Amino acid sequence: MKRRYRLLLYFYPRWFRDRYGAEIVAACAAERQQADYTGWSGPLRFWLYILRDIGLSAGRMRLQPSRAAQSRKPKGSVMEGLWQEIRHAWRQLLRRPGFTAVAVVSLAIGIGGNAIIVALVDGFVLRPFAYPEPDRLVTVGVTFPRVSDEERFIEALSPLEFADIDTGRTLEPILAFDVGNRNISGGDRPERVLTGLALTDPFGPFKLSAALGRGFTADELAPGGPAAAILSYRLWRGQFGGDPSLVGSAVRINGRPTTVVGVMPPELLLLGVDLWIPWGIDPLSRPRNARQLTLIARLSPDATLAEANAELAAIAAQTAAAEGVQFEEYVGWRLTATPWVEALMRDIQPAARLLLGAVGLVLLIACANLSNLLLARSTTRQRELAVRVALGAGRSRIARQLLAEVALLAVAGLAGGLLLARVGLPFLVSLVPAQLNTLGVTATINARVVGWAALLTIGSAVLVALLPIYQSTRAHPQDALKSDGRSFTSGRAPLRLRHALIMTEIALSVVLLVGAGLMVRSFDKLQRVEPGFDPVNVLTMRITLPQEKYRGGAISDFFQRTVDSLEEMPGVNRSSFASQFPPQGPFSTVFRIDGIDAPATAMPTSLLTTISDKHFETLAVPTIAGRVFGRTDRANTPPVAVVNEAFVSRYLPGADPLGLRVRTGPADRPSPPIEIVGVVANTQNRGLRNPPAPEIFVPMHQELNNQMFLLVRTAGDAAAMLPTVRRAIASLDADQPIYSVQTLEEALAASTFRQRSPMVLFGVFAFVALALAALGIYGVMSYAVSARTQEIGVRLAVGADRGDMIWLILRQVVRLTAVGLAIGLAGVVAASTLIRGALFEVQPLDPMTIAGATAVLGTVALVAGWLPAWRASRLDPMTALRDE
Amino acid sequence: MLALTEGPRHGYSIKQEAEARSSGAVRLGPGTLYEAIQRLLDAGLVRETSSDAYPSNGQEAQRRYYALTPRGRQRLRDEIEQWEQLVEYAQGKLKPA
Repeated sequence: MKRRYRLLLYFYPRWFRDRYGAEIVAACAAERQQADYTGWSGPLRFWLYILRDIGLSAGRMRLQPSRAAQSRKPKGSVMEGLWQEIRHAWRQLLRRPGFTAVAVVSLAIGIGGNAIIVALVDGFVLRPFAYPEPDRLVTVGVTFPRVSDEERFIEALSPLEFADIDTGRTLEPILAFDVGNRNISGGDRPERVLTGLALTDPFGPFKLSAALGRGFTADELAPGGPAAAILSYRLWRGQFGGDPSLVGSAVRINGRPTTVVGVMPPELLLLGVDLWIPWGIDPLSRPRNARQLTLIARLSPDATLAEANAELAAIAAQTAAAEGVQFEEYVGWRLTATPWVEALMRDIQPAARLLLGAVGLVLLIACANLSNLLLARSTTRQRELAVRVALGAGRSRIARQLLAEVALLAVAGLAGGLLLARVGLPFLVSLVPAQLNTLGVTATINARVVGWAALLTIGSAVLVALLPIYQSTRAHPQDALKSDGRSFTSGRAPLRLRHALIMTEIALSVVLLVGAGLMVRSFDKLQRVEPGFDPVNVLTMRITLPQEKYRGGAISDFFQRTVDSLEEMPGVNRSSFASQFPPQGPFSTVFRIDGIDAPATAMPTSLLTTISDKHFETLAVPTIAGRVFGRTDRANTPPVAVVNEAFVSRYLPGADPLGLRVRTGPADRPSPPIEIVGVVANTQNRGLRNPPAPEIFVPMHQELNNQMFLLVRTAGDAAAMLPTVRRAIASLDADQPIYSVQTLEEALAASTFRQRSPMVLFGVFAFVALALAALGIYGVMSYAVSARTQEIGVRLAVGADRGDMIWLILRQVVRLTAVGLAIGLAGVVAASTLIRGALFEVQPLDPMTIAGATAVLGTVALVAGWLPAWRASRLDPMTALRDE
Repeated sequence: MLALTEGPRHGYSIKQEAEARSSGAVRLGPGTLYEAIQRLLDAGLVRETSSDAYPSNGQEAQRRYYALTPRGRQRLRDEIEQWEQLVEYAQGKLKPA
């Protein structure tokens, strides 16, 4: 009964409990004896009275702390005591370098892994958006259900649509811009940079001011206004040496003298745009469906996201009513405001979340391991601790001691982890292909990452210390002193705890292993996808002819001459130009086929690719029917097109496509009829993950495009041909830059980067988890063997087989592993929805993967348990018994 | 505090005395009792006194004894005076005019 009273004391502040605890307990007991509490309801009435009384007085004591509480704390000695603990802990750790090393390394791996992932998320995801109140910064997305269900944010709206949206009051101010490329000269060397063509001031929604100079004035933004430019911070530093006098002076942009009016602050690097210039075109002069603008806006101070969305819905409905007849994509169209960060994160969020989860599991396993090691130590230290308790050390003192040890380990683990992150991070960042990292950001171990790692370390330390402290402080000195510190019975309770920890480790490892297995399998499937073209020995690069220099036929003429001169070069087998090439296909169009009614529900869409004559030969894409383009298809000959098989099977099933006429572009200004003259095989033109999309090819002489990719099929190593290609182009136009140089194989690899990088990381995490779990099993089993030395000695002495001894120990390993596996597989089922999105043609509960992971883990567990078991069987019975 | 006028007592006997004097009208639960003692100690109205002077059996020896301080005694007198005035005033009101 007294124990229950004592529990009640925990309501009180500690010092009060220490001072009056015994008397209160006695008073409670006396109260219970009173005559009032007889009869059947006596106990109930008693407890109600006591609970109310103690609850109320404890509440008062806590809310209005007694003055005595302050004076009760010892002063001055606290720091001194702490220092003493730490020194003692330090000596303890140094005395066991093996234990200390294993503990620090496993913590360092857990913390370092977390720091790396957090740094990646921080650098690539969060930091590019370090604007004030980033959650109030939104982008306007648009969905045309008649065309596709895809919601677009980037280059999604036309100037007239922007004008409609600008009439609302919930979004203010709005930045509307188009993205293009411009040549800028005046710095170290001419450079082609990603350029934002702004309809409004680019500083508007960000609440940031220029690092130097100012934003655009209304005058500059007006069509035909004075030529002005704003540079990104990195372009200003990199290209112009950070010269402050640049503001106010002129640079040449596509050959045109332009005054630099400002420099962006370093944190504002929107979509990787390095140069901002006014759009310079009258928005009203553009057709309603010329959609090339990206919108970023700040919610008005009094508006919520929901209000903004309601207003956008109203604007969309008005436009649909007014323009829906002429532009049928407006039927049912949707405008939505989405936080800018969320819109950009949508693609990477699932992978980031998965990796954070995985690395979190690794840290948990590391914690379980460390906890396990400490438990083992505190069990072998029972006697030391017992002696200290017996000599009068308070239990809290013992707990403090353990905590000091864990704290030291944690600090070392944190340091090691940060070191690991420091070394590992640049390596990981270097894995990101340059063409994917258009933001130009990088990840570093900054203060935020260190802070986060420190928080994790503190959390881990508490988690790690909990069990050993619990166990060591409840040890009874008498028992521990009586026992020899080795007999099995006294270690039973802690061993049970340690078994539970081992099962946890195994369960967590299964989850990671299955995850890694699934990623490997799905990446393998992705690699096996036939791209539909031969990517080996093809060099690709982009060329944009400045409009100031090349117009009309001069464009296709330049490209044709380039191809012709390249084909005379030794080492070049074939070359061609294309506006896009697989696996990327960003340019598409709506179209109609003469004589075939378009479906009422959706407007047919197709990729539209402008190519030179020998494109299919260069890519090695077979022709299925009809012909491909040749010298006869020029600007003055009838327009022709080639389509792919996906186009035929989607839009012309069962019909003969040859001779049919398509009109590309929107219904109000369609192209002239284009005759389909050939069908080619499919390529993976929307990436390896997606099925081939319908594609229309037209000759570059008939559909002019000043921005093209050059593809060169070489006899040998493609990358080695770059100087030759450069020379060929320079001989035609010495000022013409080329950019985005990569081999076709690199382009293909880049397209699977999003699958590959999580797979690699997951694999590393799973491996680490496995190693930690093996270490844990080995440690526990070694301890179990040493704890049972006598028992084993007796068994061997009375004639037990050595094989039996091995089995005696292994039996336990098998049991722990089986339970751990069962729990882990339940976890796999629970986590299956999380990982589904990251997989390609593999089910989250793929039986082969699960079987494989189970087998690997089982084997590792058995091997880790085998060593101690084998040692047990080698014991000399005489020695074992004498050990007493 | 009244319970301490006759000399030092330990905690539980304060409770018994208070309940006995008020014929059960005052009930001091264990928690309330020691809370009250602590607050009186804080206010300097009561002090802890050595229990050696009042030895009885072994169990008693563990208990702490409390006695009124001079300040506590003075405060008690003031309180009683105030109560007396209140009682006088109330009785005056109740007398038929």
